[in-house]
Amino acid sequence: MKAIKAIYNFIVGDMIILIGVIGALIILALINTVSTLAPLHVATGYVLIAVVIGVLTATLYREVKGKR
Amino acid sequence: MQWAIASASFLASAVEFVEAFTIVLVVGITINWRSSLLGAFAAAATLAVIIATLGVALVKWVPINDFRLVVGIILILFGLKWLKKAILRYSGLKALHDEEAIFEETMAEIRARGETIAPRFQPFGVALAYKSVLLEGLEVAFIVITFGSSLTGTSGNGIASAAIGATLAGILVIIAGAIIRAPLTKVPENTLKFIVGIMLTSFGTFWAAEGFGFEWPLSDAFILIIIVIYLLASYGLVTWLKWNKQRNQAMAITDNAPISAVEQEEARP
Repeated sequence: MKAIKAIYNFIVGDMIILIGVIGALIILALINTVSTLAPLHVATGYVLIAVVIGVLTATLYREVKGKR
Repeated sequence: MQWAIASASFLASAVEFVEAFTIVLVVGITINWRSSLLGAFAAAATLAVIIATLGVALVKWVPINDFRLVVGIILILFGLKWLKKAILRYSGLKALHDEEAIFEETMAEIRARGETIAPRFQPFGVALAYKSVLLEGLEVAFIVITFGSSLTGTSGNGIASAAIGATLAGILVIIAGAIIRAPLTKVPENTLKFIVGIMLTSFGTFWAAEGFGFEWPLSDAFILIIIVIYLLASYGLVTWLKWNKQRNQAMAITDNAPISAVEQEEARP
């Protein structure tokens, strides 16, 4: 458990960032494997950029809320 | 030689070397240089083994697209962590990373433990230097392997370029530290961290999408566009956080303001 926590703190240390990026990974995996979502494949990169900015905004918003 | 990889690795590693060097400096001055340097060299040797084993294993057996995806995701995680801290510092919500303050704080801790400057090896000093150099160095190793390996499949010298960048950063930080012989407060660490955060996130986004088989328009040149997008987004976030902070301060002042005589009169039943 300690080792997992150390790795988590070393790489990310922020639950919103971790969940957000894993969420992005799942969305992109679905886009690239489910045939009905195949037309969205051309937007993979742009979806990722949008999710990254969204995750950054969300984690900063939580910091702001915490400071209040 | 991959210049983009070498320079990204150089910048990212420089930040880590500055942090590690500060601790080595503190241990050297407050305990002794033998303990400090032994810890630092032992950590460097450990790191060399990690790079040599992991670097080869990763490149040989992992399919390049899968590896790009994993590396990209890890770089995004790393990059967002750094970017978040840098944005919070720029907006005034978090204190700026002060190497001098860290230096003084660590010195006070060592003195509080009753450690003095002595010529013999001090286990605490060795462990402190080892731990710090290993932790910061692991991040450098990580940067070298991830940055380097992602391009190894196509160009063959990615790791070498990243290693050159990291080595140059290490040498420059040591030379700079030896010249100024003081905590490296002159290095604008937050600016460096912000740039590195942007670069890690941009490279991470680029490679992660490539890992899914996505082809970016303009090929590698699109990295510059991603960098610009993230810079603009960060600028917008810093502006928003500053505005939010000022609004909260104004609200706090209004809440604490004394009630005027007229308002008191109106409030009476």
